[in-house]
Amino acid sequence: MPAAKKKTVKPKANQVGLSEETMMGLYTNLLKTRLLDERFRKLYRQGRFAGTYFSAVGQEATTVGPTYGLRDEDLIAPSHREIGANVTKGVPLDKIAGQIYARVSSPDKGKSHPCHYGWKPKGVITPSSTLAGQTIIGTGCAMGFQIQKKDNVVLAFFGEGSTSRGGWHEALNYAGIYNLPIVYICQNNLWAESVPATLQAGITDFSDRAKAYGFPGITINGNDVFTVHKTAVKAIDRARKGKGPTLIECKTYRWYGHSEIDPADYRSNKELEEWKSKDPVQFAEKTLMSLNLLTKIKREALVEQINQEIDEAISAVDKDEYAEPEEIYNDVYSEQFPVRRVEW
Amino acid sequence: MKKITYIEAITQALDEEMDRDEKVFLIGEDIGIYGGVFKATKGLLDKYGAERVIDSPISEVYIAGGSVGAAMVGLRPVAEIQFADFITPSMDQIIQQMAKLRYRTGGQWTCPMTMRVCCGADIAGGLYHSQINEQWFFSQPGLIVVMPATPYDAKGLLKSAIRGDDPVIYFEHKRLYRWIKDEIPEDDFTVPIGKAAMRKEGSDVTLVSYGLMYHRSMEAAVGLEKEGISAEVIDMRTILPWDREMIFESVKKTSKVVLVQESSKTGGVMAEISASITEEVFDYLDAPVARVCGLDVPAVPFAPPMEHYFLPNAEKIAKAVKNIIEY
Repeated sequence: MPAAKKKTVKPKANQVGLSEETMMGLYTNLLKTRLLDERFRKLYRQGRFAGTYFSAVGQEATTVGPTYGLRDEDLIAPSHREIGANVTKGVPLDKIAGQIYARVSSPDKGKSHPCHYGWKPKGVITPSSTLAGQTIIGTGCAMGFQIQKKDNVVLAFFGEGSTSRGGWHEALNYAGIYNLPIVYICQNNLWAESVPATLQAGITDFSDRAKAYGFPGITINGNDVFTVHKTAVKAIDRARKGKGPTLIECKTYRWYGHSEIDPADYRSNKELEEWKSKDPVQFAEKTLMSLNLLTKIKREALVEQINQEIDEAISAVDKDEYAEPEEIYNDVYSEQFPVRRVEW
Repeated sequence: MKKITYIEAITQALDEEMDRDEKVFLIGEDIGIYGGVFKATKGLLDKYGAERVIDSPISEVYIAGGSVGAAMVGLRPVAEIQFADFITPSMDQIIQQMAKLRYRTGGQWTCPMTMRVCCGADIAGGLYHSQINEQWFFSQPGLIVVMPATPYDAKGLLKSAIRGDDPVIYFEHKRLYRWIKDEIPEDDFTVPIGKAAMRKEGSDVTLVSYGLMYHRSMEAAVGLEKEGISAEVIDMRTILPWDREMIFESVKKTSKVVLVQESSKTGGVMAEISASITEEVFDYLDAPVARVCGLDVPAVPFAPPMEHYFLPNAEKIAKAVKNIIEY
């Protein structure tokens, strides 16, 4: 082998088609998302924060896979179940926990809602609750990148239910005309709150919708983080090169209710158990172990390390105060237009 | 100084702002190749290219929401809604995204965009080409809402809207597009948002209005002057946030006020202004606050007699003034 080639230490490729570093990176983010999510569920049930909590357990691979490897300048246009995109994009855990606890340190200072995570320094748009909302403005961000000739991309996340909305159609229609640098990730978890996907559309694969917009649509196993990542990387690369959007449908499942106040009694235990056996975290672990990239001991060490990180983030926001009520007047307009204050 | 129309003022403002700042771009239906259905964007496609003068598909949701996104990543979009009557699909984006973006993200993301909305009656537009519905936006904090009445303000307010850091709904009245001309300075100028204009000083009564209704109010005031009634005429120019100080000071001076609005009366902008006058300067009033507004029917009907019956005019305004003068 020529000497020059020896100097380049290439990450080891394997049967999955990804480097060890990438595979472990994906797995670590997947595990972190799972542990953080389960912790938030527990904290909610303990009454430690108000409102409700929208768990993403079961569908983490759909957010971790596409987000891993993005640049800070690339944007995430999320919905309410994108905790994995936040974790993977590198939003600090105390910012994520701050949002949940609605404390003064929260990026939105406690104004929006517990699961509306978003942090501009890492390019995650704070979501609104209107479904497909960020898909529409995210498409606008991609238009903005294109006009400014920046090679940043946008990842827009939504459930299969959101694809029924007119605004979703208008956004994808527009993106198709202008070949915008955006990748649409549909997390088809089979249920839009209580309505099954079969009552959402007359198609089985939601990626079929892409045909109408003139760009590729692909349906994949959304519980295989490696496949999701590889598929997304191709689509992101295509978008970055100015070749236009892709719609990726990830078939997946949420284990718990729409939120913690939803008993999810509209679906069968059989269905749930079937999907639990396709747990994305266990799937990744099995794959890594079969490739000798992960051992039980290594996993335990990782769990311990992540839990410590989570503990630190939670205890930081636990000690944090709520913003003063007068915070209510801030960020309505720019400083040019102060809001009239009321003396109570 | 050169005399130009209201619509020429809009075209000039767009042209000059696009020339000044490459972050300004336009998006809307028929605005590029066709130059706009009223020709407000005529010539701009040739001058600035298709990347900055975007002929959008018929997609009011995307025109609004897409502009929010572009504003988030550093651009200054100027979106056009061809007729105010067709703005309803965009309401989700305007109310939930444009108006709330800064607030709901704790100021991390902002929305410096302008939405030009072609509006108004008295052009035989019928039910679906005559509406304004400014009250929907007026009741949504987070938005700025303006409606110029003169070419000078049309240009100056549009420039302020584009340069400002807040989302602005810019209502342009199509009855005014080619009706009136103003002398406009050659040099760059802006009109401040949030400041009304005192168009005529008077001592007996205050007339408050905006848009086309300012002209109807002025016409009434000129007529009343001949009958010995001295009316003060305020053109609000900005509807949200409105110029409380100027209106209150005028009411303190004249003790009587007539509020004039083209849109339907119930729940309109003037209902809020009336309530605020009674809350804040009640002790100065010498007669009930009067309102002259569009009728409470679903929209402006087409047949000319019905359209004119719907709309306030100088005669109806003068009658309302005389009623409270005699109070």
